[in-house]
Parts: sequence; structure tokens; C-alpha cells
Amino acid sequence: MRSGTVSNAPSRRREIAKESAQHIAVAALVTAKVAFVMPITIIFLVSYIGLTALAGFAKGFLALKVIGAVNVGFMLIAGNYALAWLLAIIYVHVANTTFDPMAERAFPLPNRFEVSQ
Amino acid sequence: MNATLGIFVVILIVTLAITYWAAKHTSTTSEFYAAGNQLTAAQNGFALAGDWCSAAAFLGFSGLTALYGMDGAFYALGPLMAFCTVLFLIAEPLRNTGKYTLGDVIRVRMQTRTSLLAVITGTIVVNFAYLMPQMAGAGVLVKLLTGISYDWAVIFVGASMIVYVAFGGMLATTWVQIVKAALMLAAGALILVMVLVLVNFDLLTLFRDAQTRYGPQFLLPANYLRNPFDQISLGLGFVFGLAGLPHVMTRFYTVPDAKTARRSVVWVMFLAGAFFVGTTLFGLAAANFVGQDVIRVADRGGNLTLPLLAQYLGGGKGTLGGEIMLGFVSAVAVATILAVVSGLTLSTSGAIAHDFYVNWVKRGHLEEHRQVWIARTSTVVIGVLAIALGILAQGVNVAVLVILAICVAASANFPVLTLSLFWRRFNTGGVVGGMLLGLVSSVVLAMIGPAMRGADAIWPLVNPTIVSMPLGFLGAVLGTLLAGRDKENEARFGAFSLRVHAGSRGRIAAPEF
Repeated sequence: MRSGTVSNAPSRRREIAKESAQHIAVAALVTAKVAFVMPITIIFLVSYIGLTALAGFAKGFLALKVIGAVNVGFMLIAGNYALAWLLAIIYVHVANTTFDPMAERAFPLPNRFEVSQ
Repeated sequence: MNATLGIFVVILIVTLAITYWAAKHTSTTSEFYAAGNQLTAAQNGFALAGDWCSAAAFLGFSGLTALYGMDGAFYALGPLMAFCTVLFLIAEPLRNTGKYTLGDVIRVRMQTRTSLLAVITGTIVVNFAYLMPQMAGAGVLVKLLTGISYDWAVIFVGASMIVYVAFGGMLATTWVQIVKAALMLAAGALILVMVLVLVNFDLLTLFRDAQTRYGPQFLLPANYLRNPFDQISLGLGFVFGLAGLPHVMTRFYTVPDAKTARRSVVWVMFLAGAFFVGTTLFGLAAANFVGQDVIRVADRGGNLTLPLLAQYLGGGKGTLGGEIMLGFVSAVAVATILAVVSGLTLSTSGAIAHDFYVNWVKRGHLEEHRQVWIARTSTVVIGVLAIALGILAQGVNVAVLVILAICVAASANFPVLTLSLFWRRFNTGGVVGGMLLGLVSSVVLAMIGPAMRGADAIWPLVNPTIVSMPLGFLGAVLGTLLAGRDKENEARFGAFSLRVHAGSRGRIAAPEF
């Protein structure tokens, strides 16, 4: 039997199985994180860097008045503050409810920080 | 000016008492560099606000708004947006992977001496580029606010910072930053309420009056940054530079786990963000009530805008209320500088004592009590060096250094850190390539740009991040490809990812080199 070649080291085999299970679990976590973090990162970058680009190249648009003397530019600045706070709250909610349980499955808490380097 | 000195002496006594208490609880390296990882999310959030809001934020943003209108509001928005990058990409992986410094992350990932040395260079360049203008700014500001001479002001700020950090380590630094953040927010809230009462809770009148007095262009961009690409470059510098600043990274090691690191970023986003919104309103209010002429006479760069507004709101020059308000805001400004330079000194000590001496020279073999001794000694040396540089910088144009710090952080540290965390093939060649190209391009472009050479600039942009950051990434990728495959390093990446994303420890042996 081919499996007999490693049967003299069952503990080592269990360890390898555990390790690869962990690596699969963490790969799933990374995939889930990328699927969520990538879009929100793009949203905030487009919103903020886009606004700085408008400031450089579309002053006429930013000059349009919205309420009284307040123009589109100041509204968009206010909008970016709101966006940063909103995305932060959403991120923390998703991380608490989705990512933390997945990390816990990949590497149960009691084992964490067993050796502090 | 007596009110300023009086209030500041109280702040000084409180912070020294904190240091005395902290020194009794600081005997291990973990306590010295990371406050024993025992801080709560709220504590670290306040400390982050204290660490990140320099005098440039506390005084500068309202000054820029008062003198240049909307460009000041842009300056205030960037530092908040920057925390999105930190929250989504950097904070939790840093907490899970490192111990005290950026060097720790790279050391665990690459396990080579060359990569560690490259990252130490990046840390020291950024920290000194940041520290030197802070010291010079402290000299100018303390002189303006209290009347003591420039040299003595620098010596006083440097000596206080040495005492906080060398004796109290991260615990004292943290609490100095928390006290400063609380005072800063209290001052902001007080001024905001007084402004609101003054305009009958109608903020629109601030904009209307400013437009009437200074014309519609005041409420539009390009009064301060004339080149359109400079706006974008500044934005990029903020959003990626903060994530590459070593003294901000260090703060994430002070909490017990990734979850707390995450929550502390949300704290700072609301605390500092609210203050940044305030600076825009304060700037407009100061332009309307104090007037640009008075602001310019007090300080050409507008740095006394907030103290002058506080004086006006308190009842005006010569009144008791006015002098107390002026004194309070000025004292908070000095506390602001102390909190920031302390964080910078501690982080630089981490790079020199922990990364360079202990892990590079001694290859990690040094008894704990010797490590703490080295950390304290290096703090004193860095502090004395900072004082000397601060005194030498008098009258020299240090604005270029501020730009350089944030630009090198975005162009060298940020690419190297993110690629280390997320790219399997990234190797030592990439660390060196990214650090080299990011650093050299930032330094060269800043030196030949308008911040250094004024009208004789060879390069048009004040802030070179828009070019140097892509170059940093290019250097990192080219370095990785030119160095060839590092199979051992790639095989370790699975275990490394487990640590980055799930906080596992002990999977990767401490590197022996």
C-alpha cells in the first residue's frame, strides 16, 4: 500500500492535513475580503481622488451654487466626509459578522498568540 | 501671553505626572514600544487622533481656509480619507503580523537582512523628515505664543519629549497624546458652539459673508495650489502616505488584537474627522470676524488664525475672556506639538534600537533588560539630534521636508508594506527596488520642485507623489522580477497569510540571520 510509506508517522500526517485545511480556510477568507474590500476601496478612491481632479479641471462645475453661497464643491467635500464615515461603519460591521468568524474557523482563538515573537 | 504660560504649565505638570506613573509600568520592551498591547479601542483612537493631528492640522487647516478658502477645506478632508486606506488594508494585518515596528513585518515575511536594512532606511528617512519641521515649527510657534526665544523653545520641546519617551515609553506617549486629543477636541467644541451662537445657528451665513467680503473665487479651488495636478498629487499623498507612516503604524501594536485595532480606527475617524470639519468652519469664521489682514499681520502663513478667532470669540483683545481663550488655544497648540514629536521619537527609537541594533546587528540575541536600556538610550540620542536639527533649521525652508515625509511614506513604505502583505511572489529584490526607486524619486523631485527652488523650479509640482508612488510600485515589481523566484519565501506565504489574516502566531519561526 502506498499510504503505508507514511503510516509510521500518523501525527505528522494529521499535522499536514490540519495545516492544509487551515490554508484552505484562510484562502477562502482572503477571497471574501478581496471581494468586499476591493469595491469599497475603489469607491472611496474614485470619490476622493475624483474630487481633487474636479478641483483641478472642472472649477466651473464646483462653482455651481446649491444652497445660498454654498457650491457643489463644498457639497462634495461634505459628501466625502459622510462617505468615509459610512464606509468605515459598513466595513466594521462586515468584518465583525463575516471575516472574524471565518478567521476563527481558520485559526481558533485559544491557539492564537501561543508564541509571541 | 501670561494666560498661555499658565495653562501650559498645568498641562506640563499633568503630563509629567503621567510620565512618572508610566515609568513605573515600563520595564519590558513590550511595555516600552507597545504599552504591553493592553490599550482599549477608545484609548488608541484618542491617541491616534493625538498622533496624527500635528500643529499643521490644529492651526494650519483653519489658517489655510481663512486665507485661501476652499483649498483649506481640501487640506482638511485628505487626512480623514487617508484612514479609509488604513482601515481597509493596513491596520489589522499590521497588528496580526508585527510586534513593534514596520521592520518586524518585513523581517517575518522576507527573513533577510537586506530587506530589514531597506525598511529601516525608509523608516528613519520618513521620521526625521517629519520630525525636523515639527521641531522648527515648535520653535517658531512657542516663540510666537509665549515670547521665549526660538532656540530655547526648541530645547524645551525636545527636552520634554525626551523625558516622556525615555522614562515612560509608549504608555506615557499614549497618554500625552490622549490628553492632547481631548484638549484639542474640547477647544474645537467650545469654539464651534461660540461660532454657532454668533451666527444664530445658521452656518450658511458663514459662506455668504465670506463670499460677499472676498468674492466668489474665495469659495473655489486653486487659490493655494495653482497647478491642477498638485491637488491630485496631494490627495494621493494623503491617502497612501498615512498608511506608510511608521509612527502611525506603531500605534496599532498597542492594542491586544486585530478587532481592537479596527475599532480604534473608527474612533479616530470620528474624533479627528469631526475636528477637520470644524477647521473649515473656523477658517471661514475667522476670515469673516477677524479678517484676513489681521491674520496675515500676526503670521504670514495664517498659523495664528485659530488663536485669534478664539480671542475674538472670548471678547476680543485686552478682555479677560479673550486672553483666556487665546491662552487656552495656544497652550493646546504647544501640547499638540509635544504629542506628535513624542510619537515620532518613539517610532524612530523602534527602528534604531529594535530593528537595527537588536535584530540586525545582534541578530535578535540580546537580553530583555539590555534591549530596554538600548531603547531608552537611543531615545535620548534621537532627542538630542532632533534638538540640534531644529536649531539648525531656523530660517531654513523646511516646508519641503513635510512634503518629503508624506511622499516617501506613500512612494516607498506603502508599496513595500502592501506588496509584502498581499503578493506571494514579492521578494527581497522587490523590497530593495521599491524602497530605492520610491525614496530616490521622492527626494529628487521634491528637491527640484517649487517647494525647494521657488520660481526656479525645474519640476512643476510641489508634491511629487503622483509620479513617485507609481515609480515606487514599479521599482518593487521590477526588483522582484529581476531577483528571480524565491521558492522558500513563496512556500512560506501560506503560513504568513494565516498570520496576516487570522492572527496565528508561532507558525513561522523567528528568522535566524
